[in-house]
Amino acid sequence: MSQMVLGIGDLGASNHPDAEIKTYALGSCIAVVLLDPQTRTVGMVHIALPESKINLVKAKEKPGYFADTGLPLLLQEMARHGCQPKGKGLIIKLAGGAAIMDHNDTFNIGKRNLLAIKKILWSYGLGPRSEDVGGTFSRTVSVSVRTGEVILSSPGRPNWKI
Amino acid sequence: MTTSNLHAEIARAIQAAPLLSPIANQLLQVTARADHEMKEVIDLVKCDSLLTARLLRVVNSSAMGLVHQISSVDHAVSYLGERLVVGIAIAECTNEFLGKPLDGYEGESGQLWRHELFTAIASRAVARHARAPLPADLAFTAGLLHDIGKAILSEFLRGTSRELVADIVRGDTADYLTGEQERVGLDHAEVGFELARHWKLPEALAQVIRHHHHPETAEAELRPLIYAVHLGDILAMMGGQGTGSDSMKYHLRQEYAEHFTMSKDDLALLLLECSEEFRKVEASLASLKET
Repeated sequence: MSQMVLGIGDLGASNHPDAEIKTYALGSCIAVVLLDPQTRTVGMVHIALPESKINLVKAKEKPGYFADTGLPLLLQEMARHGCQPKGKGLIIKLAGGAAIMDHNDTFNIGKRNLLAIKKILWSYGLGPRSEDVGGTFSRTVSVSVRTGEVILSSPGRPNWKI
Repeated sequence: MTTSNLHAEIARAIQAAPLLSPIANQLLQVTARADHEMKEVIDLVKCDSLLTARLLRVVNSSAMGLVHQISSVDHAVSYLGERLVVGIAIAECTNEFLGKPLDGYEGESGQLWRHELFTAIASRAVARHARAPLPADLAFTAGLLHDIGKAILSEFLRGTSRELVADIVRGDTADYLTGEQERVGLDHAEVGFELARHWKLPEALAQVIRHHHHPETAEAELRPLIYAVHLGDILAMMGGQGTGSDSMKYHLRQEYAEHFTMSKDDLALLLLECSEEFRKVEASLASLKET
């Protein structure tokens, strides 16, 4: 099995049946997982912040860091694997976006990430099939290309699927 | 085991913890003084050939990206800044202690050190947003040591994380700190404070360690520094650098706003900058482990 590990702001896609895409310890970050049943391709991006306007240099260097630059690039990467360029037919799953207890608006970057991601998906006419977002715990996400199963883990909890 | 037996065991574990090296201790004492000068730091480093070699290795590592090699202590110290000099001295002597897995928190090997490092970087960055001037490098050092209590308490919390997390989710336990107290009668902040006493750390650092989850209970004079670390700790967890099952299960103390001004965009930028700096510093410190 080959494992593609994504750090903050990384994105990737694969249609190799033995591949697994994984990203560790999402705090306020959100992993967007795209699955294409037609081409059996899986893609993921590890988004840290909602909008690229706060640092355009960083957005150019690592577009996956921001929702507004990362999602379009992930769709392009999926298209490179034969998927529909506008994302038609994709199954979308979201995980992450946690917050500290008693947070205020300033510290709820997870929620702002989620809203930005949904807004962009909406602009493509897309929406998540399932999501495991918010709460006060970090998440590690892995997805197998062969099974398409999205597995979540968090210290102190048994693993679960979305 | 009864609570008093547990306390005695924890006290023994604190006494048995490895001490900081004399050079790390001297650097902490000097840099905690508000009126210290860089020359004092350089003079201390010059007296320690091992630390000098380490600093030169880090400053000339590929992660630092220097075009020309630095070969003098003065240049290395001024390039790295006193915070990284102190950080390297601490890393050198706590490598095993802070690098071990945190079984009680289901934390992996190296996770506590990475959390301390991210918190240090973030506490310093938060200090720049203080309403009144704050010693930013001291915030870095305090961040680097704030969770040392976990290295001791982890052993005593072994096997408790699932139940503790479930209690918090159900609302039966207020947060992870309370959960620690419920299970072993002490929390990592208090244990860290006792370890700070054992290590003879400067008082300001000991107080940060003790109050970093409840800065409002500290002496007024120290509160801005403690809030900086409180927020730095939270930023580390948001950035995915927690210590395991306790990540995000602490309260944000809203009173931070009395000491800091930060907009939503400021915080987003802080998280971005700290993640970048963390990546760079972690890579440059990794050169210490190369043979």
